Amino acid sequence: MNRFIECVGVGKIYPGKNEPVEALRGIDFTCDAGDFICLLGRSGCGKSTLLQMMAGLETPTSGQISVAGNELHGPSPDAAIVFQDHGLFPWMTVQKNVEFNMKARGTPAAERRRIAERFIAMTSLTGFEGRYPHELSGGMRQRVGIARALTTDPKALLMDEPFGALDAQTRGNLQDELLQIWEKQRTTVLFVTHSIDEALLLADRILVFSPRPGRIAADIKVDLPRPRAPQSEAFSALARELRGLVGAERDFD
Amino acid sequence: MQFRRALGLLPLALLFVAWHLAVEFKVYPPILLPPPSKVAMVFVEDWDTVLSNAGASVARVIIGIALSFLFAVPLGLMIGRYRLLDTMTDWSIQIFRSIPPISLIPLALLFLGIGDKPAIALIFLAGTWPLLINTIFGVRGIERTLIKVARAARASELLVMKDIILPAALPAIFTGLRLAVGGGWLTVVTAEMIAVKSGLGYMILNAQLTFRSDLIIAGIIVIGAIGLLADQLVRRVRAHVCRWQEGLTASPE
Repeated sequence: MNRFIECVGVGKIYPGKNEPVEALRGIDFTCDAGDFICLLGRSGCGKSTLLQMMAGLETPTSGQISVAGNELHGPSPDAAIVFQDHGLFPWMTVQKNVEFNMKARGTPAAERRRIAERFIAMTSLTGFEGRYPHELSGGMRQRVGIARALTTDPKALLMDEPFGALDAQTRGNLQDELLQIWEKQRTTVLFVTHSIDEALLLADRILVFSPRPGRIAADIKVDLPRPRAPQSEAFSALARELRGLVGAERDFD
Repeated sequence: MQFRRALGLLPLALLFVAWHLAVEFKVYPPILLPPPSKVAMVFVEDWDTVLSNAGASVARVIIGIALSFLFAVPLGLMIGRYRLLDTMTDWSIQIFRSIPPISLIPLALLFLGIGDKPAIALIFLAGTWPLLINTIFGVRGIERTLIKVARAARASELLVMKDIILPAALPAIFTGLRLAVGGGWLTVVTAEMIAVKSGLGYMILNAQLTFRSDLIIAGIIVIGAIGLLADQLVRRVRAHVCRWQEGLTASPE
């Protein structure tokens, strides 16, 4: 299926305190179903804003966005989002948190339970169902966020710097797990990151954003076989190219 | 830990010693300041009087605070959630909460006569403002990401209220309830001195007219003890209902 997500001339202007701030201008891109796309750029380049708009949480000032052939007006039932600060409800156990999106759609309790069990297992959380979020490590919390997003079988998984707040080790593990899940579920993933290495490890395609106003500066296809080795010649070459595109700062981790 | 707890009794013990010494050295005539033993006898000889009046006061507070809870919590949730309601009610709340419920006793008597009604109405007012203000405050404090999660999941407004806004505000609601119970208790004693012919407030005012200072002091002890018990009870309930919060908030050293 072609053109699963389509952005046409998307722009976003915020009414700032003194003068309007143009966060994004003229974003045009389409992506196919099943793609893993990273939105890469420095902070303040509008990549998160674009993701929030694709999630239907923000409305574009100009242009339009379609998901699965339907023009967006508010959150789409075909998409699910994962936030950097995980967005878990502190008063709900892991089980209840994972079930929330299904509860919002009116899925019967028994079915919720069964589906949640599956994704709790998939994200290696079995045994922690009764815990509260503050009893979990940062990595486990993010696993809960991912499990919750997967329960409604979304065609698009929108991830807003999901691993940005984690240590390198945990981050690496979660990246591997995410790729495994993606290969199993074959859902389309749009993944916001400011890490070149992360984008290169994960994506089929990288959209590089440049700031003020946010625009797509380059659209890079990543044809490296998985699992990818950051030490390899081809990986380093792409990383160098991306560094040049992203801007003067060498890495902004 | 047990020893630390016992430290809380120290000021009370000092007060008791001071009382004892004042009696011993005849600082005041015994008709004004009876010895502790005489006050203790009140709990034997006048137990029925103390018990029935305490029961009347407690019943009024329970009814009044229950009514204010049912009124203020849902209203506070709505005001906290909807900006328009907030704009509409903000000034009124600030004005009405500045009026001491006691100052409304004359009006309450004119409109409701002598009896339970004016007392309960005043307790209701005393409880409403702290509950309302704290509930609004609790809703405001909710993490923005959590609301986004709910919107992205396309949760109904009812589910958002029930599963997100209410639990998020619960700790603040309990803070409001503690203040409401405290305020309601202060109000009932005062109101009973004027508006009703039963209750602890009525009992101690009546004791003054019959020169029963032992009964006055016994009444004051009961008022204080019930105040302490009520506060402890609300704290216990809060600790149970908000147990997901354990370890989330800083506890004093």
